[in-house]
Amino acid sequence: MRLDAVGKRYGIRQPWVVRGVTAELPAGRLIRVSGRNGSGKSTLLRVVAGVSLPSAGKVTGRPHTGYVPERFPGGLPFSGREYLLHLARVHGLRGDEARRRVGQWLERLGAAGYADQSLRTMSKGMCQKMAIAQALLPSPGLLILDEAWTGLDQAARAELDAAVGERVAAGGTVLFVDHDQARLAGREDERWNFDTAGGVTVLAGPAPQAAPQAERVTIRLETTSAADVIGRVRAIDGVRVISVDVEGRQDS
Amino acid sequence: MTALLRYQTAILLRSHRWIFPLIAYGLLIAVGAAGSTSLAETLDWTGAMLVPVVAFLTRGMLTAEPDAARACVCAAAGPVRAQLATLIVPLGAGAVLAVAATVFDVLTAEAAAKAPVSGLPGKVTAAADHPGIVLAGLLIALVCLLVGSAVGALCNPPLLRHPAAAMLSTLAAIILALAAGVSPASAAISHSTAQSASPLAANWPGAGPLIGAACLVVVTWAVSVIAGSRRDTWSVSSS
Repeated sequence: MRLDAVGKRYGIRQPWVVRGVTAELPAGRLIRVSGRNGSGKSTLLRVVAGVSLPSAGKVTGRPHTGYVPERFPGGLPFSGREYLLHLARVHGLRGDEARRRVGQWLERLGAAGYADQSLRTMSKGMCQKMAIAQALLPSPGLLILDEAWTGLDQAARAELDAAVGERVAAGGTVLFVDHDQARLAGREDERWNFDTAGGVTVLAGPAPQAAPQAERVTIRLETTSAADVIGRVRAIDGVRVISVDVEGRQDS
Repeated sequence: MTALLRYQTAILLRSHRWIFPLIAYGLLIAVGAAGSTSLAETLDWTGAMLVPVVAFLTRGMLTAEPDAARACVCAAAGPVRAQLATLIVPLGAGAVLAVAATVFDVLTAEAAAKAPVSGLPGKVTAAADHPGIVLAGLLIALVCLLVGSAVGALCNPPLLRHPAAAMLSTLAAIILALAAGVSPASAAISHSTAQSASPLAANWPGAGPLIGAACLVVVTWAVSVIAGSRRDTWSVSSS
């Protein structure tokens, strides 16, 4: 799958929310999309998911897609199970296979006991589980998660992490946004960072692990030319104390 | 597509958005049946009243699905097919009403026979003797179904998203569709009534209104589908 100079704006006179995004989405990749609030992450995810067409550029080779929106307020006149059965059919699953997968995902996400409740009376977390289940039902080749972990209990969060791993292992591509930097940390193959102008920088590999914050960190340097090194270390921002310990003094 | 139509039909039935159009249509055809003198005239009225009913059914469906739920469906099936299914279902519901109303008219209206006929079997036989009248009535209903659908698609989300503006323009467009001479629905009915020299003659809508209504639907649906797949948020309000 490929994005070619993809841009999106909500009207001719509106500013570009996303612009000039060119990227490959190879199979079996986990991609984190990050950026500040309002930087265009959700808009880009919607375009990648095929929910809305780009205003410029093109998206090609999209596999079967599951999309989890950032908020899923329910609001439909169905029970959770009925909703999932309808969506399973829309995803192209048939009869018993649809029913089996719906049961399986309700079980995995810990929602089986609530599935016959109306979507209109479900709690936020339970609605979120329905949104996640519908996206995972068809084992999609492209999975888009827009802050999908929000509102889930611990067990369901772990289950979603596991499901993401399964999709990537099966050769699927997973794009996700989450404001918790620890979410799937170290497992990303790529990071797409939004800048303030709606552009995206693609970086390979997981985010570098930040050094732990502490009251005092002592770093030991060894050198034979003290005067030079001390001068340079003193010039570094953030150094509070320099103590010099001299061993084996060589008097000439 | 079948799955999408099934999903949208379930939304229509389960959300009870069919109740208001059904009651309104029932009242309107009852009024028409009371005031008409011949079967052909009754069928004209029954057809005309499909315009507001299908327009409001379409409005109901275009505002029924929350944005997030629509987004999930769009990812699964594509925004074009999702929007088409949303437009087809209320048109289909209108067609069911049209057929039911035609049957009602045949059974209750003044029979299309030279001598007065009493009893339901006699009326059915009289209608069967003049199939042109019923067929012409169904064609007028078809024109009005298409015009009603076009009005609903044009005056509601995603094209017109403000609830008050959408509601008022839907009403205005319905009046225009029934009163203005350029409207295929109005043309079909006036073409039809112009022929009613004899109560036994079939009142055909004419080819022009049929073609016009078909073009209107193609254009308005296309615009609605394009808007639906480019915009991805629209206000969700009750009908």
